[in-house]
Amino acid sequence: MKILIADDEVMSRYLLEKTLERAGYQVVAVENGSLAAEHLCKPDGPRLALLDWIMPELDGPSVCRQVRTERAQPYVYMVLLTSKESKQDTVTGLESGADDYLVKPWDPEELKARLRTGQRILQLEDKLVEARENMRFKATHDPLTSLFNRGVIMDLLSRELARTSREQGCTTILLADLDHFKQVNDTHGHVVGDEVLREVAKRLLGSVRSYDFVGRYGGEEFLVVLNNSKAIHALPRAEEIRNAIANFPVQTTRGAIQVTMSLGVLPTRNSGSRPVEEILQQVDTALYEAKAAGRNCSKLGGGGVDLRGSTSEIHTAVDGCWE
Amino acid sequence: MIQADNHSAEPTFNLPEMLARVDNDREFLCELLEIFKKEAPPLLLSLQEAVSSENMKLVEAEAHNLKGMFATLSATRAASAASQLEQMGRGGVDRSGLRERLAAIEYELAALLTELNNYIAEETHEDSHRG
Repeated sequence: MKILIADDEVMSRYLLEKTLERAGYQVVAVENGSLAAEHLCKPDGPRLALLDWIMPELDGPSVCRQVRTERAQPYVYMVLLTSKESKQDTVTGLESGADDYLVKPWDPEELKARLRTGQRILQLEDKLVEARENMRFKATHDPLTSLFNRGVIMDLLSRELARTSREQGCTTILLADLDHFKQVNDTHGHVVGDEVLREVAKRLLGSVRSYDFVGRYGGEEFLVVLNNSKAIHALPRAEEIRNAIANFPVQTTRGAIQVTMSLGVLPTRNSGSRPVEEILQQVDTALYEAKAAGRNCSKLGGGGVDLRGSTSEIHTAVDGCWE
Repeated sequence: MIQADNHSAEPTFNLPEMLARVDNDREFLCELLEIFKKEAPPLLLSLQEAVSSENMKLVEAEAHNLKGMFATLSATRAASAASQLEQMGRGGVDRSGLRERLAAIEYELAALLTELNNYIAEETHEDSHRG
């Protein structure tokens, strides 16, 4: 594990450096408080530190304060080295953000034991952060497909629409529904149905840019938000996504299954204060039209035309129908 | 020159404690002692200047630095003398006895350096025999 030593006194620093290297640490040794703070505040900086109390430029407690202010995550475990022994000094050191202190001259076994304590605390912190991140993922993602869940994708859509209105840009909303998915479940069972949903989710994610959003809206319905997209690209993008599903059968444990998708498409700008549900109603209507038109196609919402219209019609629609 | 106390016959630094601190690595200990021999005299010079100008803040800082080095070597008497001067520097008011306390440090440092030189010479001698 990487550890930082900050001590302006050459002999003491060298002794610490060698002792800790022998104990298996990867040592970074510096001679003043400013350099210590600089190293500790780096994103990949050491997470264990031994800081002399009195140092040029920044003293040990000031380094602790700076690190606590500037680097909240991941946690840095800091031990102050001091020849100060009064209770008030101890309180001052710990209140600056230090986790522990050692009185000079230190005993090597005590030093190593206290650093092991620090490592245990850091490991515990890592486990807690990992658990929190897992919980956060579970709270925001659909467990089957790992896409954003309905609540999150709706929230992201609302924010994106607000941003689009503010910046006078355009956001394209796609509501996609697998065609005849009930038959897949009925014929092959829900396990295979789930395999299909997972593969479709993977293909959807693979078909959009890293800054677009994809969420599971309902059973076999998906909501795709194409951020900063030009209205004229709305239908071609929808078609690319539809083809990504339709062009290759899904390989399942029960063999290859051909699935297709219908899409409602709505490029929006200046949605203003309209509720997101109202805007989604327009996309839903477009999706309904795609289903009514024979499925496996994309339909523009808000009075647009489908992809099978002429190029000039599409352009007219794109230029004129939104909002 | 004034002695810190009347223990001049006792060792100026605690060798067993130092050896424990370096995990009985005598070669490494000699390296540390060489660092001390190089670093301590300039620190004493700065302390002498601070005392002579009665710059108490500087007295505190320089005495603190020396105290740290003495403590690392487990040179208890020298560390205690430096600690007294550091405290005087921190207090900043009582300047009586400033020079006497400095003299105690000078005495301890001189004795310590002699003892360290002897130790290093012995070690080097033994090494050449071992080699």
